[in-house]
Amino acid sequence: MSIDKTEDLILNMGPQHPSMHGLFRMVVHLEGETVTEIDPKIGYLHRGIEKLAESRTYTQFIPYTDRLDYLASPHNNWAYVQTVEKLMGVEIPERAEYLRVIFGELSRIASHQVMIASTALDIAGWTAWSYAFRDRERILDMYEMTAGSRLTVNIMRIGGMSAEPPAEFWPALKSFLDDTPEMLEEYYGVFLGNEIAQGRLKNVGILSKELAQSLSITGPVLRGSGVQYDLRRAEPYSIYDRFDFDIPVRYGCDSYDRTMIRMDEIKESIKIIKQAVRDIPEGPIMAKVPKVIKPPVGEVYHRVENPKGELGFYIVSDGSTKPSRVRIRPGTFVNLQMLPIVAKGWKIQDVVAIFATLDAVLGEVDK
Amino acid sequence: MENKELLKQRVEELAGKVNGEVEEILGAIILKIQAPYIIETLTAAKSFADVPCDFLHDLAGLDLGDHFEVVYQLTSWNGPQRLRVKASVDRENPVIDSATRIWQGADFLEREAFDMFGIQFKGHPNLKRIYMWDDFEGYPLRKDYVTEPIELRNLVRQRKEGE
Amino acid sequence: MQALNNLFLIIADFIRSLFADPHSVWANLTMDVINFIIVVIIIVLAALILILLERKIAGWTSQRTGPNRLGPRGWFQTIADALKLMGKEDVTPAGADRILFKIAPMIVFSLPMMTLAVIPYGNQMAPINLDLGIFYFLAVSAISTLAFLMAGWGSNNKYSLLGGMRAVAQMISYEIPLLFSLLGVVMITQSFNLGVIVQDQHTIPFIALQPLAFVIYIIAGIAEVNRAPFDLVEADQEVVAGPFTEYTGLRWGLFFLGEYGNMTAVSALAATVFLGGWQGPFLPGWIWFWMKVGIIIFFMMWVRWTFPRIRVDHLMHLAWKVLLPLSILNIFLTGLGIYIYRLVMGG
Repeated sequence: MSIDKTEDLILNMGPQHPSMHGLFRMVVHLEGETVTEIDPKIGYLHRGIEKLAESRTYTQFIPYTDRLDYLASPHNNWAYVQTVEKLMGVEIPERAEYLRVIFGELSRIASHQVMIASTALDIAGWTAWSYAFRDRERILDMYEMTAGSRLTVNIMRIGGMSAEPPAEFWPALKSFLDDTPEMLEEYYGVFLGNEIAQGRLKNVGILSKELAQSLSITGPVLRGSGVQYDLRRAEPYSIYDRFDFDIPVRYGCDSYDRTMIRMDEIKESIKIIKQAVRDIPEGPIMAKVPKVIKPPVGEVYHRVENPKGELGFYIVSDGSTKPSRVRIRPGTFVNLQMLPIVAKGWKIQDVVAIFATLDAVLGEVDK
Repeated sequence: MENKELLKQRVEELAGKVNGEVEEILGAIILKIQAPYIIETLTAAKSFADVPCDFLHDLAGLDLGDHFEVVYQLTSWNGPQRLRVKASVDRENPVIDSATRIWQGADFLEREAFDMFGIQFKGHPNLKRIYMWDDFEGYPLRKDYVTEPIELRNLVRQRKEGE
Repeated sequence: MQALNNLFLIIADFIRSLFADPHSVWANLTMDVINFIIVVIIIVLAALILILLERKIAGWTSQRTGPNRLGPRGWFQTIADALKLMGKEDVTPAGADRILFKIAPMIVFSLPMMTLAVIPYGNQMAPINLDLGIFYFLAVSAISTLAFLMAGWGSNNKYSLLGGMRAVAQMISYEIPLLFSLLGVVMITQSFNLGVIVQDQHTIPFIALQPLAFVIYIIAGIAEVNRAPFDLVEADQEVVAGPFTEYTGLRWGLFFLGEYGNMTAVSALAATVFLGGWQGPFLPGWIWFWMKVGIIIFFMMWVRWTFPRIRVDHLMHLAWKVLLPLSILNIFLTGLGIYIYRLVMGG
């Protein structure tokens, strides 16, 4: 009798594991260091937000959206309030639209900084991690000035914004925008330009264009696979049609390009914010909306380009003050499907890196 | 606007074939069909001439009291066309064909709908609960699901029996 | 000046003079015990200082302050950490191989004690003056592979096992270029004795004659003590803490001490063989020696906090396809150099 194949080692990674970004768990089948099969298990952070929505009024639900992708909370607010506004047919004031763009793009930068930092950390680049977090702190400070909180900011309301940024917000924003190119150079120098980091990321975890489209992958992961698809261009919501910016795309389809695309997007976000700051008009920040939000019977589906993928809200209204059904389509939840397919056959170290470049936030994946 | 007219025309042609109804709510084109026609509908929608809806953006369950609906949000990689397909599923015996053969990305979304509504997707490669643990009882997003924790439910039951 | 240079020799002579016969068995035994205690003190002190230094350097590279609460500028932080470790419960996981699990940290800790014993800390100041110094050093430090595998296997944990396997693969691979890089120096000095090697560097340190060997030695040395970018053995992001995953309290502390001790030993050997050991003008020899060791340790820490971790297959490629051929090339060039030197000098 000959032994052709030894037994696989089944390794349970997570939910408590240093590189599992929250409470993700995957059961990994290993042959030596090579991964033969991955079974992702999610739901450790499931709070039933969709069910909670059915017993909250439309306004009460806004803070819950902060807890989806908590690294880019203004963007989640935005997706939700825009969906309700679309359902009610509310037009919001110009200034509020511009403020939303500014906060939305700031949160995109913050989210991408966390992604760069955590990818660096997952391949043991400790120093790059603290550089990106140092800079993200300035964005959180700007949130704090305006909304009073730093992570789950709850800054948007149905019909506009909750607060006008204070006077010191604008100089802080300006100095942040001015410093960003230098920051990006630093990230590149300390992390992405490094020979070892490139060896870890380049040509690892190939997600082909066809596979990405079949898996309904969205966001930077998709654009890192050579598909130039961005909702801000493909289907401009809010006032994105007024700004001049590019949709960066990279054709490497590997972990490296999925990381670099974030650097490119930060540059584009800076462009958008600069234009928004230049054009922002004076005026009110809230539209006239009734005290009790009571949308007409109907249903609406709206999606926005969240930093990590497209976030969709499908709201069914029965005419009462509470929604009949709120369906959340989290981008990273759908993106996560690529992990078992793409990471198969790579080393366990590469799986960690591929998972990091997916930039999954378990708050959003688990809802 | 031309795009939308064209899409509406295609959807109406398709609706004739699959016994569907076409609706328009808040500017969105909705095609309502019965569950057995779903694969035919989605396959046709994916390859509409000029306005293909080849991007499955979302798949969600919906509890309407007497029946379930599975809502497919279709759009395209190349154009602004958007189509919402709603497949009506029987509440007592919620079975529908899986869309994983058309889009691999339907995998997790269908598992979620199964987890939350108990809708069986025939032909799904790995239809297991995704958010809740495997031996969880009930389907949380159904309207008749009792949200009290199981301990509390047992407590209420005990009290009632005690009375 | 001369007195300061020979400070420790003078103390040793004084202690010997307390015996009736300064070279009796008892005097030798006493001196050996004192030497042993000094080496232990060196390791513990090195660990205490290096842990703090490492955290300060980490803070410096990543633009934060590092520990700064306990004592002046946080200098007592490590002491507090050590006390905390002593207070921790000693857990042996169920299903562990108890004997292997318990002796592994002791072996790891004992190795730097054995290796640091042959290093000449100053003129005539090697605790044990061994003729086969380099040979002994490498042979002893290779045992640590076994200790890591024992810890990994004994813990009965899959992460530990993976880490232990990685330790074996990595350390055996890097052992060879490490050894070959030192051979060039041995060829020049015709001696394995570390004291002789330092003596021979009184005109020029061997880093000038063997730059390639020095680079190979530093790379292989970092890999040998499992520090980033070669810290695959204890890679948190992949295998949690490798062989140390299941260890708590003082047993874990012993691993930590051993790691810093090993790092000191590897740096001390580099300083001895390539940087001229205690040779240097003006200052006493033992100060020169520790300054050189300090520079190498600082360099290793700097590298650790700058580079990401290398991939496991790249690690093997680097060892077998780059470092090994280069080190053999270095031996060849050294031999050629010696031959030409003899032709020219008529030796």
